[in-house]
Amino acid sequence: MIFRAHIAAALILFSQAVYSQEKYVIDWDYEGQSFEAFALKTESRYPVRFFYNEEWISGLTFGNYGGKRMLSEILDMVFEGKSIYWYGIEAGNIILTKPFAIKQVKEKQADDLSFMPGIDYSDNREAKATGGNLVMDIGNRTDIDKPGKVTLSGYIIDMNSREPVAGVTVYVPGLSAGTISNSYGFYKIDMPRGTYSVRFTFIGMRERIFDLNMFSSGELNAEMNTVLVPLKEAVITAEKDIHLQRFETGVEKINIATFRLMPTSLGESDIIKSVLLIPGVNSVGEGSSGFNVRGGSAGQNLILLYGAPVYNPSHLFGFFSAVNSDIISDVTLYKGGIPGKYGGRLSSVLEITPREGNRKEFAGNAGISPITTHFVLEGPVKKDTIFYHIAGRATYSDWILKYIDNPAISNSSAFFGDLNARIAYDINRKNKIDLSAYYSYDSFMLNSDTTYRYQNNIFSLRWRHYFSSRFFSAFSIYNSYYKYDIASLRVPQEAFELTHRINSTSFKADFNWFKGRHEFNFGADLNRYDVMPGNYLPAHDSSIVIPNSIEGQQALEAAVYFEDKYILTDYLSVNAGLRFSSFFAMGPQTVYNYNPDSPRSASSVTDTITYNHRDNYKTYAGPELRLSANFRLNSYSSLKLNYNRTKQYLHLLSNTASISPSDTWKLSDSYLQPESGDQIAAGYYRVLNKNKIEISAEVYYKWMDNMVDFKGGTDLVMNEAIERDLINVRGKAYGMEFLVKKPGGRVRWSVGYTWSRVLTRSKGSFAEELINSGNWFPANYDKPHDLILAFNTLFSRRVSFSANYVFSSGRPVTYPVTTYSIDDIVITHYSDRNKYRIPYYSRLDLSVKISGNLRSEKIAHPHWIFSIYNVTGRDNVYSAYFKNLNNTVKGYYLTVFSKPIPSLSFNFDF
Amino acid sequence: MRSQKIIRLFILIALVAGCTVEFLPETDESQDLLVVDGMITNNNQVQRIRLSRSTPVGTPLGNKPVKGAAVTITDENGIVTTLTESPDGTYCTDSTEFTGRLGGRYSLSIEINNTSYASDFIEMKPVPPISALYYEKEAIVSSNDTNDVDEGCRIYIDTYDPTGECLYFRWDYEETWEYQIPYSVTNKICYVSENSDEVLIRNTSLYSQARVTKFPVLFISNETDRLKETYSILVNQYSLDESEYDFWNRVQSVSQNVGNLYDITPMAIAGNIRCITNPKETVLGYFSVSAVTQERLFIHDHFYGLPGFYTYCATDTVSVTLPETGLNTEYWVIEDYSDEVPPFWVITDYKECADCTTRGTNVMPPYWQHF
Repeated sequence: MIFRAHIAAALILFSQAVYSQEKYVIDWDYEGQSFEAFALKTESRYPVRFFYNEEWISGLTFGNYGGKRMLSEILDMVFEGKSIYWYGIEAGNIILTKPFAIKQVKEKQADDLSFMPGIDYSDNREAKATGGNLVMDIGNRTDIDKPGKVTLSGYIIDMNSREPVAGVTVYVPGLSAGTISNSYGFYKIDMPRGTYSVRFTFIGMRERIFDLNMFSSGELNAEMNTVLVPLKEAVITAEKDIHLQRFETGVEKINIATFRLMPTSLGESDIIKSVLLIPGVNSVGEGSSGFNVRGGSAGQNLILLYGAPVYNPSHLFGFFSAVNSDIISDVTLYKGGIPGKYGGRLSSVLEITPREGNRKEFAGNAGISPITTHFVLEGPVKKDTIFYHIAGRATYSDWILKYIDNPAISNSSAFFGDLNARIAYDINRKNKIDLSAYYSYDSFMLNSDTTYRYQNNIFSLRWRHYFSSRFFSAFSIYNSYYKYDIASLRVPQEAFELTHRINSTSFKADFNWFKGRHEFNFGADLNRYDVMPGNYLPAHDSSIVIPNSIEGQQALEAAVYFEDKYILTDYLSVNAGLRFSSFFAMGPQTVYNYNPDSPRSASSVTDTITYNHRDNYKTYAGPELRLSANFRLNSYSSLKLNYNRTKQYLHLLSNTASISPSDTWKLSDSYLQPESGDQIAAGYYRVLNKNKIEISAEVYYKWMDNMVDFKGGTDLVMNEAIERDLINVRGKAYGMEFLVKKPGGRVRWSVGYTWSRVLTRSKGSFAEELINSGNWFPANYDKPHDLILAFNTLFSRRVSFSANYVFSSGRPVTYPVTTYSIDDIVITHYSDRNKYRIPYYSRLDLSVKISGNLRSEKIAHPHWIFSIYNVTGRDNVYSAYFKNLNNTVKGYYLTVFSKPIPSLSFNFDF
Repeated sequence: MRSQKIIRLFILIALVAGCTVEFLPETDESQDLLVVDGMITNNNQVQRIRLSRSTPVGTPLGNKPVKGAAVTITDENGIVTTLTESPDGTYCTDSTEFTGRLGGRYSLSIEINNTSYASDFIEMKPVPPISALYYEKEAIVSSNDTNDVDEGCRIYIDTYDPTGECLYFRWDYEETWEYQIPYSVTNKICYVSENSDEVLIRNTSLYSQARVTKFPVLFISNETDRLKETYSILVNQYSLDESEYDFWNRVQSVSQNVGNLYDITPMAIAGNIRCITNPKETVLGYFSVSAVTQERLFIHDHFYGLPGFYTYCATDTVSVTLPETGLNTEYWVIEDYSDEVPPFWVITDYKECADCTTRGTNVMPPYWQHF
């Protein structure tokens, strides 16, 4: 029988396709039958043959599975929870596998390992070697002497959810070669003939190792199992391989498991804040809802949820992220090396991959923190076919406001809530559909007469179609809608409501095709934008406000891209891509022409042109080259080079240091040109000390053009002709990011240091259009030094402790050069912008996570997280401002958090 | 704009645990620029143009008058009025010779040391009378936890231009109030005045009428003795053209609405006076041409929670004899019980507790009302 198993393994690997035995009906009474008897009976009735190891099925009997059933269903049910799997292949053969490469005794050890962290790769190897791997043969043994390379490929799926797993590193240490599975779970790796150990690793999943005799090309499908408790070392092992394998520099994957253990402010895990811990990413200050990547402004980041852009990434003025971390499976930040399929923002892409629902059974989670409550529900509607994931969150912060002495605040209220829902339908092996929706709502009322509300809605429908095992496609339609409104009823006669809205609808097609040594990625996307820049309406019957609307804008943005990942040699691979993007501004629209000899203003208008519905009054288009090369220097280090160009047609208008709630989005038009950026980057990566320590160093230089700035004191709200206040700015950013980390084991730490500069200068012909006389000056978020230390340790299987320390230079500020008064009003006169700096920023956060009993049979698993934000209570300065006091202008530092903020939150899984 | 103010108020919520602290900016540069502070109105009085030089940050704004300049005002008919300097740095018109007219267009010219400066011609737009100037009591939650609600006073203004011509308004005010020392001293009742120091503007171009309703002019807290006796405020209402409104709006954003998370990036704001001789030279200030109307409000009311402002005064009680040295120079007598046996006096070390003229004047203003 063991011999049979051996043949069985070989037969599996020959097969190109998997046949499901859905046509065979089991209509006899199988209850109580032993598996052997069942197998014999089935073999006599239908043209199938079972191959299995007797040991695995001894003592296995069938239960009551509801009478007459398909063979496939019955096999699923009888093997459930037994770690036995069946494959149906051509010619009606059914192969059973129990694919642990460790003998029974060692297998138990593997189970225990799931509760005890700290075994690293090398120990595992020895355990397996002594345990005696099952060496599998790929291909035909008779081909052993043929020359040339062979290909190992296949699909990687999640054992429980049966969903393909993307981003799995498939690595052959003996060759220092590897690859990553694509978004369909497909991988392909070339190697010379021989015997190798192939490792499959992925964050959050137990590592799989296969020992293979590669005789000729063949397939190996692997199933990966999520670890029960996300504390395992294997969780982190994958990261270093990702760095070594990924083509592009400047890509960071955020580990959701350690992210959840990190200290939080106000008790909420916040994915946007966790991005700030990556070298090269910083923010203007606390309470700022945006982030800056490699010198880019906050409006230059594309945040994607379900493939659709999120226009306002935060709740509660930047203190909470708009994305509920419960729905996040993983997060990838592209700081540079942005793949061709992404476009539309200059500096970064933050892609949030949502979790799939649980395919097998209903599960959930709920929790409470000082300010919010949240829940998650997931499960199948039809097992393995239709399944859903729903998560919701709401806040009840009003009780804190009541405690504040200021009567304006204690009479106020603050609310936000969001809901994420996703439902997926696997039609068959070649077609999958999923539908996702996100709804978020924020509402603040100040002093019972003024309100500020906003909503973010996203809706996305995607169809994945596998043309063949090497040609994949995904088609999606999505819509993203953001609207805010501010209303004041303080004086009914002047009661107003101010609204702003942006709505975008898109269609996207992406194709992924493996051919020989090439992997092609190509596709297209089409976006339609509709922006209502501002509506100002009366909000009360007796209000005398004249309804006023700034003319809406419409535009189409279309792009096509083509990229080829070509493996030149074992050590060198290149990715060459071109994205061609275009933008069409469409009417109806009124465009003013101005006298070119004077600055644009209301008085220099020479002409007014009116365009009609669907008139294309302005077009921009251009190529965006995306090139990268990956040199594998040896088995422990690699070098990467990268160049990319990006363009941005949609702009966030802001003249405050951080994004303010009343900032608006605007499309490019006759005067507001698309922003463009060119970045070159180089990175060196190395692992040390038996893969325990990972080092990366990246340098970059970036040119940016057509960034947006404004004349002093410009009022952006309900501004009809922005071009009159617009100042066109050019930027340059450069820096070095250095990261050392020990991501595995019981004690994990990382040290990241970035040195960077970002400078801008205005381009203009008139004095009013110049800032600092047209000289280079530092941007608001130019912080030359940025140091991040992160530390996490597991005291036991239930208690973990984390600490973060952040240090950065103070950001630049503008001082007044003189003061004066007119009509007894003291006025400060500013000159050179950003010539000075506020003091440096330094903050330490600590947190402790305590889990309840971790046994899998328990119905509910509780966790407590206690954290303190800003432990030292340092008054970190956010900004400097100057104000008159008793006839003298004085300088003041503003601090957002000046005391340590403790918080406690409680969650349980069920 | 109002929405910015509203957003600014929201940020109070966010700054729950935050704070501000003063610092001294170390800067090596300071610019010494010409400042022109002047307004022409139609109020048939002396019009004044003040010329001075600007003051470095951290120094009290003071007197750095520019003397000996030649200042003239030209109207649309070419009539040139020369202003005379009195006192230093203040250039005045003769009220019998010159007064602003509605509809007139005026420009200012200055010549200092062979450098000329000038403004454009600005039209004096009409301004309506103030419809109503009134106040409302407003609650202040007291800082001690007694749940008492102290009262402060907020003053509002309503105004309306039925012709719809005056779209942009600006206000300033002069406060005068009476205060009394609660002791038997010679100068017991005095009056003191203060001018407004904030930009108060309103844009009605977005409204269907040129009407301002319930605009908050100022808030009087219970930390000042303004409301203790009788208080009076004289509000001036000015008409602005769009450029001047734009100037004050930017000044408000950059100089006044600061100190929160969403401060606008500060930048220089241009006034309306240019240097003709040297176009690159920056001139600060604004030459305003406005019609003006006025309204006065008296407040004589009881406000709950007004503290005693003189509780610190009684420094010591001396009996039998007064100390010889220092009487009326280092200490003053505020209560005289020399008829008692033994005789005693209550004295104070603070001159303002014994003589109200240290702070104001004991001459009642001619417009004062009795209550």
